[in-house]
Amino acid sequence: MQSLQRRVILGGVVWAVIAILVGGFALLSVFDQIANRRFNALLEERHTQIVVALANSEIPDQIGAFLNDPAYQRPYSGRYWQLNGPAGEVVASRSLFDTVLPLAEALSPEPQIWTSDGPDGPVRGLRQTITLDDGSRWVVSVAAGVSALQAEREEMRMSVAIAFGFVGVLGIGAAALLTSLILKPLRKLSDDVVHRWDSGKPLDVGEYPSEVAPLVGDINQLIDRNREVIAQGRRQAADLAHALKTPSAALRNELVSISRKADGTAPLFDALDRIDAQIIRSLARMRAANASKVVNLRTDLGNSISRLRRLFGALPDTAQTSIMAKTPVELEVAADAQDVEELLGNVIENAVKWCDAQVVISTEAAGDMAVVQIEDDGPGIDPHYRETALTAGTRLDTAVPGTGLGLSISSDLARAYGGSLDLGASERLGGLAVSIKLPLAAAGVSGRASDPHTGLPKTA
Amino acid sequence: MRILVAEDDHMLSEQIKAALSAEGRAVDTATDGEEAHFLGSTESYDLVVLDIGLPERDGISVLKQWRGNDIQTPVLILTARDGWSERVDGLDAGADDYMTKPFHMPELSARIRAMLRRQAGRSSPVFQKGPVVFDTRTNKVLNNGMQISLTAQELAVLSYLFHHAGRMVPRAELSEHIYEYDCDRDSNTIAVFVNRLRKKLGKDLIQTARGQGYQIDLD
Repeated sequence: MQSLQRRVILGGVVWAVIAILVGGFALLSVFDQIANRRFNALLEERHTQIVVALANSEIPDQIGAFLNDPAYQRPYSGRYWQLNGPAGEVVASRSLFDTVLPLAEALSPEPQIWTSDGPDGPVRGLRQTITLDDGSRWVVSVAAGVSALQAEREEMRMSVAIAFGFVGVLGIGAAALLTSLILKPLRKLSDDVVHRWDSGKPLDVGEYPSEVAPLVGDINQLIDRNREVIAQGRRQAADLAHALKTPSAALRNELVSISRKADGTAPLFDALDRIDAQIIRSLARMRAANASKVVNLRTDLGNSISRLRRLFGALPDTAQTSIMAKTPVELEVAADAQDVEELLGNVIENAVKWCDAQVVISTEAAGDMAVVQIEDDGPGIDPHYRETALTAGTRLDTAVPGTGLGLSISSDLARAYGGSLDLGASERLGGLAVSIKLPLAAAGVSGRASDPHTGLPKTA
Repeated sequence: MRILVAEDDHMLSEQIKAALSAEGRAVDTATDGEEAHFLGSTESYDLVVLDIGLPERDGISVLKQWRGNDIQTPVLILTARDGWSERVDGLDAGADDYMTKPFHMPELSARIRAMLRRQAGRSSPVFQKGPVVFDTRTNKVLNNGMQISLTAQELAVLSYLFHHAGRMVPRAELSEHIYEYDCDRDSNTIAVFVNRLRKKLGKDLIQTARGQGYQIDLD
């Protein structure tokens, strides 16, 4: 799943890096140009000083006396001057000590900027051929070490990097904050949709920004449509059951009347039994197929067990059976209430039918599943026949009334919800133990409380 | 004993009526929820067989309204749906028992007999008063071990008095519970049936209190 917030932050980071690199490069280029211009201007100023000193001095060797900068006196100070006379003589500042500044191959009356290795690191210089009033031509050179310039450049780069980094982090933080603010209506929408399932009230379009409002309207329509489809499916199944089973009951009774007067009705009863079984099986399949289509359901397991206990406790045939429920913790399963009661009802009915006197229903949580154990003190099922007992239409004892579909329908329903139904032996009571696993409803997520009366999410 | 069968399928309704009538019950039928509610609210029934999937108005809402109006007639609901939830809802609405379609008529008859017995506060299906024995399962009446042949009306009167043994039953009440809705209810004929029963089963079986009604006291 792609997160909008993650996308925005990632996009922000990429753009911040690009902006910092381009901006930093441009800024440093401008700075370099300014620093170079300033450096060159300084060289020109010093060059002018030397030229003035040369013009005013009758003896070039004594030029040093006109220049009072102590840096020219200190060897390798990084500040140099040099005069190359017409007769090849060289006059230079003491700071050059035992080295000389390089000369150009072609002399030029135009100022030339050059770079070279100086006596103590790289230097940049300015040289120009000057013709004095007496016609003599002198090459006047000044130079200065560039290490200070480079250090200044590094410092500038560092400052720019820190400043841009800070701006970048600030930008990403602001993007995250802005995204969070922009996405706030969507988070509210998510909460409201869950609440809408619970309450049945439509979402209020007016509570959302104009950009989100059309989506809210669509969700309202979608939820209504979904509810309608589920209800319609259930109604159709119920109507179909009524439409098929009522004439089937009438047909069966008519056959009973005929069988009293004539022989040979056994095959007709067999055929009718098969039709009835097929109807039950098909309706159960429809129910199981629909189960997985409904999402975000939660059903109170204890409540369903309590309702079924009340039913079996009130019916004359089963009122004598002790049905105990041990539900120590409140568990909610992610399943439709009608399906949960259908699933448990079949198993409890089976337990009540086969038990001697006692049925125990217990629940517990195991990881992300709820486990319901339904045990009885009846004869149980031989391990070899347990798999067969879950096959639709299998009746292990045909002397006892039933269709042989109950456990199979329950097993199908449990599997439709991603759970399971297993048969075993009850250590506690000695009879059959049916273990049903159903997925627990997600903790902390408010889902739709399913109404056992309608099987639909509760409405206001 | 008078029973209301509320079932919209005409064929099934007639079958239930025929089976119950053969057992000496007075049976009225309703084919939709409104009619069922009207009859159940205005007539005296000993039991109602109520289909949940009735047109016009569903059985559960009819039953809820009866119970809300303090009509405590025993109700057996018929459901075509397999849902356990629906059975619990039916029971919560005030039903006393349920049957799932398709069902076997003998089972429905047995359930009805058991419900009527429970209503009378008895667990045994056999009533006895001196030498007279009445088996509700077979509707056979023995006097000193000899099977006695009774007409449907005689059987209906005897059954009602046995089911309300120990209580003085007014003639009008007897009349209400042995005749169907569209029958002429002449309460004078009740006296004729009681006299015939006395002749066939002995004078001591039914006590008469002039102007009050009839009573059977069990052993």
